[in-house]
Amino acid sequence: MTYIESEMIIKIMEKVFLFDLDSTITKEEILPRISKLIDKDKEMEMLTEKTMMGEMSFEESFGLRVDILKDLPIEDVSDIIANISLNEKLVKFLQEHKNNCYIVTGNLDVWINKLMKKIGMENNYFCSKANVKNNKLIGIEQIIKKEDVVSKFDEFCIAIGDGSNDRKLLEKSDIGIAFGGVRNVAPALLEICDYAFFDEDKLYCFLGTLIKE
Amino acid sequence: MDNKTVIISCAGMGKRFGKKMPKALIEVDGKAMIIRTLELLDEVDDVRVVVGYKANKVIEKVNSYRKDVTFVFNHDYTNNGTGASVSLAMKYAKKFILTIDGDIIIHPDDMKKILNMDTEFVGVCSISTDEPVLTITKNGKVLGFSREKGNFEWTGVTLLDSKRAVPTDGNVYEMVEPLLPLDYKILRLKEIDTMNDYKVAVDWVKNNYK
Repeated sequence: MTYIESEMIIKIMEKVFLFDLDSTITKEEILPRISKLIDKDKEMEMLTEKTMMGEMSFEESFGLRVDILKDLPIEDVSDIIANISLNEKLVKFLQEHKNNCYIVTGNLDVWINKLMKKIGMENNYFCSKANVKNNKLIGIEQIIKKEDVVSKFDEFCIAIGDGSNDRKLLEKSDIGIAFGGVRNVAPALLEICDYAFFDEDKLYCFLGTLIKE
Repeated sequence: MDNKTVIISCAGMGKRFGKKMPKALIEVDGKAMIIRTLELLDEVDDVRVVVGYKANKVIEKVNSYRKDVTFVFNHDYTNNGTGASVSLAMKYAKKFILTIDGDIIIHPDDMKKILNMDTEFVGVCSISTDEPVLTITKNGKVLGFSREKGNFEWTGVTLLDSKRAVPTDGNVYEMVEPLLPLDYKILRLKEIDTMNDYKVAVDWVKNNYK
């Protein structure tokens, strides 16, 4: 296929945008924020940092991080998450192109469902599943493999993320975008991404160009 | 200037220069070359910097000056040329692309002029480097590129219609070739390939571009 032909095909294909949640849509990391309330932020920060930098697998670290928070009432956690500050321009993009956008996060369904509803993504997200008994979080039922989401779509996939657990998601997508507007992009992403943005408005405009192409 | 995407190619290793850093980060009279170029592009909305070798260092430096830059990644920089970098960066571009290599310093007045251009042109300069790509010119037009003969040196600076520019893995002038003949503009600039080029550039900047 020539360059021109491949460009033509991209133009007529439907586009799907797959957004990471923490520090991509949100203005801060979600779990460290909650851990502050119970004075576990030091432990949490360390685990989050190790995962971001790729020193610990997401699966291992997420299990440990959920353990720190699992005694908190589910309702309280989901309320805090629903009120976390957001990158409003990116949220605007989600709402303007609802049919083309999905959130892909390692976070737990029972914790993020209120936030998803608040931003209008209640039917457009993929996440990890919690094991809940009698309204209490027992543990993790299933941790999402972010990259598996890409296979669910025949469309042209554009993925946006910031951490090392987004690496495979970005790699498998047709376009991988690193976003360093909230915190530094994980080095593992810089090895594979197609674009990097550090300004939310600029990213918003670029995504707008992609959807129109 | 809203009709232009400016593409600065900073992906390569700058082997001939021999420092273990991207050439765009080399300081000329106390300021990195990439910053000198960015300072002339304050009015440009769509600036794209192509990164590859030590991408994080280039990103850090650019971000210290402005954050609203689009970074385009050329991961295969060891096997391809600046043409590949430009080909990647011209996707989803505005009406025109203006290409600039990361290892040059342009006279500020000339940059102002080319930012106001809205017809395609090829930037040339008087022959100054050791292994130049030359331009064959006639009646104000560039007719071809050559290693052997020509009246001017190709600069890597060119303004092209982004829909007409032809992608390549090689050099930027290979993207220009199918579009010839094109107008040329004589530019005052210094390209830095060798230590000698570097000294010449430093003196030029220190001497107020004279």
